[in-house]
Amino acid sequence: MKKLFGTKNMKKTTKDSFITYAMVILVFLIVQIMVGTGSMSSLLQGLLVPLCIYSIAAIGLNLCVGYLGELSLGHAGFMCVGAFSSAFFTKYMMDTGMNEILRFIIALIIGTLTAAFFGFLIGIPVLRLRGDYLAIVTLAFGEIIKNVMNVLYIVKDKDGLHFSMSDAASLNMAEEGTFLINGPKGIIGTPHQSTFTIGVILILVSLFVVYNLVNSRSGRAIMAIRDNRIAAESVGIPITKFKLMAFTLSAAIAGMGGVLYAHNLSTLTALPANFGYNMSIMLLVFVVLGGMGSFRGSIIAAVLLTMLPEVLRGLSDYRMLIYAVVLIAMMLFNWAPKAIEWRQRHSLKDMFTKKTKGVQ
Amino acid sequence: MALLEVKNLGISFGGLRAVDDFQISIQKGQLYGLIGPNGAGKTTVFNMLTGVYKPDNGVIELDGKGITGQRTIDINKAGIARTFQNIRLFKNQSVLDNVKVGLHNNHPYSALTAVLRLPKYRRVEAEMNERARELLKVFGLEEKRDYLASNLPYGDQRKLEIARALATNPKLLLLDEPAAGMNPNETKELMETIRFVRDEFDMTVLLIEHDMKLVSGICEELTVLNFGQVLAKGKTGDVLNDPKVITAYLGE
Amino acid sequence: MSFIAYLINGISLGSVYAIIALGYTMVYGIAKMLNFAHGDVIMIGCYVVFTTMSGLQFNPLLSVLISVVVCTVLGITIEKVAYKPLRKASPLAVLITAIGVSYLLQNAALLVFGADTKSFSSIITLPALKLADGKLVISSVAVVTVVTCLIIMTGLMLFIKKTKAGRAMLAVSEDKDAAQLMGINVNGTISLTFAIGSGLAAIAGVLLCSAYPTLTPYIGSMPGIKAFTAAVFGGIGSVPGAFIGGILLGIIEVLGRAYISSQLSDAIVFAVLIIVLLVKPTGILGKPIHEKV
Repeated sequence: MKKLFGTKNMKKTTKDSFITYAMVILVFLIVQIMVGTGSMSSLLQGLLVPLCIYSIAAIGLNLCVGYLGELSLGHAGFMCVGAFSSAFFTKYMMDTGMNEILRFIIALIIGTLTAAFFGFLIGIPVLRLRGDYLAIVTLAFGEIIKNVMNVLYIVKDKDGLHFSMSDAASLNMAEEGTFLINGPKGIIGTPHQSTFTIGVILILVSLFVVYNLVNSRSGRAIMAIRDNRIAAESVGIPITKFKLMAFTLSAAIAGMGGVLYAHNLSTLTALPANFGYNMSIMLLVFVVLGGMGSFRGSIIAAVLLTMLPEVLRGLSDYRMLIYAVVLIAMMLFNWAPKAIEWRQRHSLKDMFTKKTKGVQ
Repeated sequence: MALLEVKNLGISFGGLRAVDDFQISIQKGQLYGLIGPNGAGKTTVFNMLTGVYKPDNGVIELDGKGITGQRTIDINKAGIARTFQNIRLFKNQSVLDNVKVGLHNNHPYSALTAVLRLPKYRRVEAEMNERARELLKVFGLEEKRDYLASNLPYGDQRKLEIARALATNPKLLLLDEPAAGMNPNETKELMETIRFVRDEFDMTVLLIEHDMKLVSGICEELTVLNFGQVLAKGKTGDVLNDPKVITAYLGE
Repeated sequence: MSFIAYLINGISLGSVYAIIALGYTMVYGIAKMLNFAHGDVIMIGCYVVFTTMSGLQFNPLLSVLISVVVCTVLGITIEKVAYKPLRKASPLAVLITAIGVSYLLQNAALLVFGADTKSFSSIITLPALKLADGKLVISSVAVVTVVTCLIIMTGLMLFIKKTKAGRAMLAVSEDKDAAQLMGINVNGTISLTFAIGSGLAAIAGVLLCSAYPTLTPYIGSMPGIKAFTAAVFGGIGSVPGAFIGGILLGIIEVLGRAYISSQLSDAIVFAVLIIVLLVKPTGILGKPIHEKV
């Protein structure tokens, strides 16, 4: 029998988190040096912020999938909520002469909290139900959000704000008014405030929050619910409270990724490509390939899988197909009882042992 | 006054009366056995006592307080903890963490305290570690505290379930076939442990068991359930010699 | 009159949802899994009809038949390769694998058939039905769709009630282990369920593409998700539930598009799902599921 932890439980999990922090900081420093010496192509430089966005969203999703054991297919929707609410605020405050850094920080808080609020709202009815329903409802939520964002018009003029859910003409906008959200055209003219440094700081903040949570009383309760709900109830764990806690936090972190996304582009639109179902699946691929329950793995997978097709251009047509095949293969290899048996027989155990905290 | 007082407890599934007019009265500190043939409704009784099923009728009182039909978590907080016939551990957590989940409600600190790593986090975690190790020591599992729960041998898994239940600091401990799957040596050891738990923790224990050696060895009183109804009850020796009980077990 | 026309359109669309929902509800009932790839099987079916009919100039009925065969084989293969090894694994693992299969089918179709939209020519060439002096025109596609759906529903319910294989399905959905002990071939029954569901998916695909004649690798996913919504609405695991849920959802979608907002019609459908789960999680005809302790 193999000990999966070192002798001192606390130390091992703390060590795990510190390795991840160190890895992120190290990569940050290397990138800074490469950018400083001009040895990084502009293509790669353009990818730096998106890499942070995907990493953050994947960390959020991993909390939900790996620790809570519930599948969300709507994390792109939470990103969308975070992106639009924060960009809306930024756009609204742009001509007020507010300090830019302060404005970004408030936008970040607004985006994160709005996503958390929606996560909470969705979680209340759905987390009581069987797991598959959460997947489908979060998927539905993502589609609703995307649809609503495409028909939402908000303008600001001297009379204040005007809303419409049908078209721009019905807004009766005064002449000097400006569009805050212009239906399918989205939010135009948000400042580029997301930088790689901010992205890395947000990754570290997300990691700090999730690591500290999972290595605590609350984290143990969340994993207990995942491993055996009935037993968790029998020792007095309030199921709904901890499910909601994990899910809301997971949505909030995705929303934070959305804020970063919104402030990395001058035009924010809700398209199937950025906030659609496919984006949610991409995030899931990052989580599964990186290892459910391993935040470090999620970051590595997000970075590698985003960079690979950019580096190997010829592969880009096959990228999605390869993701799909790898996803299926990983699931079969890791979870099929026969495959588990085979691995144990061939003593590949040490190479492929599931993370202690991985989902059952 | 009895610690657990159950009267007229009943439940039906579909048209089937699974348990009918069940009553039991357990004094504080007693080791009490609930026996009966397979399918007699013993686990159903446990499920009603712990709020997994809501009884159709009847009254359950723990320490004079009515707990009938309450939620499982509230019943646990009121003082009933249990183990399961088919072991239900938190398989992907360490042995120590399994017990620490049991300590959840008695050693509180908020999620925010954890995220910000406030001093209270360290203090309470240290308390929890100490308490969990004490409990594991009782069951001889202290050395295995860092194992993954699913990697424990079968007998140890059953013990860990008891340790986890005790961690919630209950007044009444319900054990559902604690000796199932154990060899005679392990069973003997388990009997000693159960007695030790009763004496050391001042615990009241109600257990379901098929192993008659264990039942006659440690239970002071018995209730026999057959087809969902109480067939006999009383002192262990008397009940086991009751012709009605023998017939129920061996058939007509 | 326009309201009646919308209503008929809704029933027609709902019939397609109902046929797709059957695939979800039967598989869910028996394998206790959400077969996420079901919608993409529909898409493959459509491409098969398109290729054989437009490319190879086959007779439409022959095309449909080939498509049914291809989808049936595809359904069985998916089950055998991807789902069967995971039958004892956690539901989360199965669900993620199903999503992987869905993703695989979409991207394989993208590579094989290209991303461009193909225009699908309806296989139903009957004249439209004109009622009330031509004020109410019902397209032949709508008529054929509704009739096909009714035939399939009746046939399926008879199959489940009257045949040995159908009763085996019921038994497996009630209790897999007990069914096994009673000598029922559980693996065979599950395969059969996937086969029937996928075969029906091919028919649903043809009807869908006849009504909405554009074909891309993504056409299956939205109707698939909506049909799953219909299955949940009607009560997952229940065949009549799939029918009722499908028809209701179709009507809601078409009326929502007509009277509320065309861009929000999908949002309305999904809002219905969330409301149903809030008010009656088991759906209209569903039975609550008890967990054994």
